[in-house]
Amino acid sequence: MTSTSIFTTPFVEIKPSRGVFQLDLRAVWQYRELLYFLVWRDLKVRYKQAAIGIGWVILQPLVTMLIFTAVFAKFAKVPSDGIPYPIFAYTALLPWTYFAQALSRSGPSVVGDSGLISKIYFPRLIIPLAAVITPAVDVVFSSVILLAMMVWFGMVPTWGVLALPLFLLLAPMTALAVALWLAPLHVRYRDVGHALPFLIQIWMYASPVAYPVSLVPERWRVLYSLNPMAGVIEGFRWALLGKASPDFMLMSVSAAFVLLLLLGGIVFFKHMEKTFADVI
Amino acid sequence: MMSEIVVQAEGLCKKYKIATARYRHDTLRDLLTDSLKSAFRRNGNRHQSKDDFWALKDVSFELERGEAVGIIGRNGAGKSTLLRILSRITLPTEGYASIKGRVGSLLEVGAGFHQELTGRENIYLNGAILGMTKQEIDRKFDAIVDFSEIGRFIDTPVKRYSSGMYVRLAFSVAAHLDPEIMMIDEVLSVGDMNFQQKCMEHTKKLLNGDATILFVSHNMFAIKAMCSRVIYLNEGSVRYDGPSEETISIYESESRLDSLDWGEKIVGSKLAEWSIYATDIQVLDEQGKPRTVFDFGERMRIRVKFETRRPIVKPNFIIGVDRSDNVECCSYSSFVDGFHISRLDGEGVLEMVTPPLKLVAEAYDIVIVVRDESFQKLYCAQRGARFHLRHELFNTHFGVFHESADWHLSTIP
Repeated sequence: MTSTSIFTTPFVEIKPSRGVFQLDLRAVWQYRELLYFLVWRDLKVRYKQAAIGIGWVILQPLVTMLIFTAVFAKFAKVPSDGIPYPIFAYTALLPWTYFAQALSRSGPSVVGDSGLISKIYFPRLIIPLAAVITPAVDVVFSSVILLAMMVWFGMVPTWGVLALPLFLLLAPMTALAVALWLAPLHVRYRDVGHALPFLIQIWMYASPVAYPVSLVPERWRVLYSLNPMAGVIEGFRWALLGKASPDFMLMSVSAAFVLLLLLGGIVFFKHMEKTFADVI
Repeated sequence: MMSEIVVQAEGLCKKYKIATARYRHDTLRDLLTDSLKSAFRRNGNRHQSKDDFWALKDVSFELERGEAVGIIGRNGAGKSTLLRILSRITLPTEGYASIKGRVGSLLEVGAGFHQELTGRENIYLNGAILGMTKQEIDRKFDAIVDFSEIGRFIDTPVKRYSSGMYVRLAFSVAAHLDPEIMMIDEVLSVGDMNFQQKCMEHTKKLLNGDATILFVSHNMFAIKAMCSRVIYLNEGSVRYDGPSEETISIYESESRLDSLDWGEKIVGSKLAEWSIYATDIQVLDEQGKPRTVFDFGERMRIRVKFETRRPIVKPNFIIGVDRSDNVECCSYSSFVDGFHISRLDGEGVLEMVTPPLKLVAEAYDIVIVVRDESFQKLYCAQRGARFHLRHELFNTHFGVFHESADWHLSTIP
C-alpha cells in the first residue's frame, strides 16, 4: 500500500447537498497536481502538429499591433497620450490577448471536458481554473517582444512597475470570475458558446486597447471603469510606459467588483456543478 | 480478522427529470418557448410527477473490507447510477452513503485520454485524473507499461493505437491505482480474451491485498469468477442481495422471456400489445427431458409456447443463440429451413431440434424472434432460457464454435 493511504484513510460522505455555501475549496488544493497536468495537457496539445508552434503566441499580438498601428494611428489618427502608438497598443494587447484567450477557453471548458465530468470525480473548479492558467504561459513569451520594444523606443518604467504583479493578477481573476458564471450556463444553454466570441469582441471595444481612456467622455468614465480590463490595461501603461497615473479610486472600484463577481461565481459554480454530470 | 464496514449506503435515491432529458433546453429559445407553453397550459403541474424518473429507489447495503460484490440487473435497473453516486460523479436525491478508503473507480476505460498525446504522456495525465500523484506515477510507470504490453509504442500518440492497445494502456493505468475500494463498470468486457484474463487476475490480486471491489457486469461468468456476493437491482431497487449463485439464479429466472431492448424500440415495450409472444421457452434434450447443461456435439430440443393476439400471415420463427457476453452466435429460421407456416392464430407450441451443437463451452441464452418471411416486419423479440455447453478444451479462446477439419501434410525431404 502507498504511504499516503496508511497515514490518511480518506473518509467520504455522500448525501444530497442542501447548503449553498459548501465550497470545499480544500479539495481543489488536494487536486493541485491534476491542475498542473491539465495545464500541461493543454500546452502540449496546442502546439502538436503546429509548424511554428510557440511562434503563434508572439505572432498574434504582434500582427494585431501592426494592424492597429496602420488603421488607428495612421488612417484614423487616434491619439495615444504622447506615447508612440505601436508600444501604446502592444502594452494593451499583451494583457488583452491573454484575457481574450483565457475567457474563450474557460467559458466552454466544462462542456469541453464532459467526458471527464460524466466518468470521474474530481473538484470541477479545476477545469475553468486550468483554462485560465494555460494562456498565462503565453504572456511570458509575448512580453519578450514588449521588452525589446521598450528598449527600442527608450521607455523607462516608473516605480509603478512594482504594482505590475497586481495588474497581472487582476486579469486572470477577471477571466475566472466571468468563466465561473459562463461555464455552468454553457452546460445548460449552448447559446453561451455562440455568444462568447461576440462578447469578447464587444468587450475589446469597451476596453482602451486601441484608444486611450482620455477619449472617453468624462460623464461615462465611472461606468467605463467598472470594466476591470480597463483598469488592467491602464495599469499596464502606467507601470511600464510611465503614463500619467490612472484613477486609483476607480481602479479599486473595479477590483472590488471583480472580487464580488469571483466570490459569487464560485458559489454559483459550486451550486450548478451538482447537476453537471446529469445534464451535460 | 475483524470485519470492518468500508462502504455503507442507506436509502439512496436518485431522481432524474425525463423532461430535461427529452427536451434538454439546449438553446435559450427552447427554454423560452417551453416555459411559455407551460404557462399557457392549464393543469401544467399535474404532469410534473410523470416526468420524474427514479433511477434508484431506497437502495441500502453495506460492504465489508475485502469483499467482492457484483451488481447485476437489466439495462436501466440503476447499476450505473449507483456506481456514479458512490464514485461521487453525481449526488443522490435522497439518502446517504459513506466510504472509508481510497476509491478507484473505473466507469470507463481511458476517460481523459487525449488523442494527440503519446502513451507516456497519457499515463501521467490519466493517472493524475484518477487521483495519483506524480511521484506515484513515476514509481509505477514501468509496471504500467509492462502490464499494458504497449512496449515501444509508448512514445506514439494514442490516436495511432489500435483499439486493443488503447484499452490495454487505459486499464493498466487504472489497475495500478492500488485503491482500497475499486468500482468497476463493465470495463473488463473490452479487450481481447488474454488481456481480460490478466485483468481478472490483477483484480483478484487486489482482493487478496484486502481491497474491496464493487463490480457491475452483464457477464455472469465474470461475476461468478470474482464475486462471492451479488446484489440484484430491479427497477432501481435491491431485488435480492445474497451469495452469487443464489442471486444469479433468481436474476436469470426472472429475466427469462423478457423482451429484447432492440425489439422494444420497434414493437413497443408492452408484451401484452404484441401480435405474438412466447409464454414459455423450454430447453430439452433430444428425448424431451428438461436440461440446462449440454455436452459439446449434442443436439438440443427447444420448445416454444406462444400466444397470438392477432392472426399473423406467414410468420417466420427465428431461434437464436446468444452467448452470455452478448455475442450472437447462431440462429435458425423456420422460413430459411423451408418450414412454412401459412397463418397463425391462437395459442400453440413450436418445437425444433438443433443440429449437433458445436459452440464452445460457455453460457448461452435462447432468443426468440418472430418476423415475416422477408425478414422485414418484426412481431416479437424475447430472451428465453439459458443453457450451458460443456467441453474440457474448447472455450472462447478457440473462437465462437469449433469443428474438425480435414488435414493433409506433404513434406519435401
